[in-house]
Amino acid sequence: MNDPSTQPRRPRVLLIEDEPNIATAIVFLLQREGWQVSTHSDGVTALDAVARHAPDVVVLDVMLPGRSGFDILAALRGGERADLPVLMLTAKGQTKDRERAAALGVNRFMTKPFANRELIDAVRALLAEAPA
Amino acid sequence: MPRPANTGSRIRERRIALGRKQVAVAEAAGISPSYLNLIEHDRRAIGGRLLLRLAAALDAEPAALSGEGDSTLAQAVAAAGAAQGLDPQADADAFARTNPEWARMVAAQAETIAAQARTIDALSDRLTHDPSLAEAMHELLSTVSVVRSTAAILAQTPEIDANWLRRFHANLDQDSRRLAQGAEAVVALFDRQAARGDRPLLAVEGAARFLDATGHRFEALERDGAATIPMLTAEIADPSVQTLVAATLRADAADAERLPRHLVEAANGPDDLLGAARGDMALVLRRLGLVDPGRGLVICDAAGAVLRRKPVAGFPLPLVGAGCPLWTIYTALAQPGRPLSERLETPDGAIWRAHSVALPETPATFDAPPVLRATMLLTRADRTGTGPAGNRVAVGPGCRTCPRAECPARREPSILSFDT
Repeated sequence: MNDPSTQPRRPRVLLIEDEPNIATAIVFLLQREGWQVSTHSDGVTALDAVARHAPDVVVLDVMLPGRSGFDILAALRGGERADLPVLMLTAKGQTKDRERAAALGVNRFMTKPFANRELIDAVRALLAEAPA
Repeated sequence: MPRPANTGSRIRERRIALGRKQVAVAEAAGISPSYLNLIEHDRRAIGGRLLLRLAAALDAEPAALSGEGDSTLAQAVAAAGAAQGLDPQADADAFARTNPEWARMVAAQAETIAAQARTIDALSDRLTHDPSLAEAMHELLSTVSVVRSTAAILAQTPEIDANWLRRFHANLDQDSRRLAQGAEAVVALFDRQAARGDRPLLAVEGAARFLDATGHRFEALERDGAATIPMLTAEIADPSVQTLVAATLRADAADAERLPRHLVEAANGPDDLLGAARGDMALVLRRLGLVDPGRGLVICDAAGAVLRRKPVAGFPLPLVGAGCPLWTIYTALAQPGRPLSERLETPDGAIWRAHSVALPETPATFDAPPVLRATMLLTRADRTGTGPAGNRVAVGPGCRTCPRAECPARREPSILSFDT
């Protein structure tokens, strides 16, 4: 039997997305890459989920119930996990949203609908950038 | 061919000029007063024979009522030419006189071009600033995203665990339906905005949006009655919308008191509740429509104007304006007091049971007819049991967003893509 302590830790991705069907597809895609994926669907308690799951990367939807992805990103950048890589997903691809996300310190910004490969590549790049 | 939209206004002006009542003119033309009222408010297009009958009833030339004898044709042609940089006086009069059909077409095309330009301007602006459109597009894009990602997974993954496969198939099925509904919603939104141009939202539209967002269900109202209305409407910023919603909720609270929810939830259909509602069929239909999330509801006045509409999945209802003229609710208006039950078929082939009744809101007197209000309850036919097969009426959501190109009741072109 393998000793878990000797195996490399699987990268952890936290997906914060309230739309269950897109979450299902994203979870499948990310798990298939061998990453450990957790999901959370509520904006108000999203920061608690970050603290609980201690992810290496957060995939964050903009439109969430209770609290927007922008607010969550701003709170993250002002908190203990200020350097946590964040990929924002949104169906609102307007320039002002990109600019707002950039101003708040987002690492990647992706608009829906996206290609699966594009999403996986973006998360992989962010995992590579993630602080050890 | 349907008459221009202002034919009704000309009919009304002519009738008023003659000092005649709607009832008398309608009787002379062989139609109901309520139908004449719809025509006069340009809510019904009228065909050739009916126009002839109305013209005879009003002692007028049909062309004068339809506007085809309009002396402003030359000015319209001149304006169309001016819009294209021609000298406005350049032979417009002669052209209109010698080629009236062509002149009418030029004028109509100029009007269409101008209307489309206004629509494009309005839509461009709304795309940037309208939260409703942004929300509708967001919903649409989110659903497209699910479909695209899921379809790609299925297409590109040779072996998928059976559980995942089931979930993906179910999600695809669900989201393809959602996509169709989202597309309809966006089309309807464009339609409304095109019709509205740059004007601000109507209070009735704001109220409908608020009620739709809540699913027309208010637990506090059911439990604690009208006292909860200030709390329920507190978040509405627009005072006119707030007033309208409050009035609607007061009526709902009174209904809830008369016919409690537990009775409604235990009922299989309208007949089960008639005794508890003391024979008030409209109350029964309203309560079933509002309490059961799986049912839709439409309430309209005698002019056909929709006063309350609760959409239900699969049976879209226009946010404002009249619905499909073939809905049972309009048939009920012609037979006040008689409950009607019909099978309706929507453009997607789904069968619905529509229960309708028109009842007076005010008592009839010798001086004034009663104010009628009609109510229609919509239930998927598969929920009401098989019942007699019978005929079904092919209906739609309303002409503007209805894909039935050949519908005899069509009063205006659809903005969906087919040739009319």
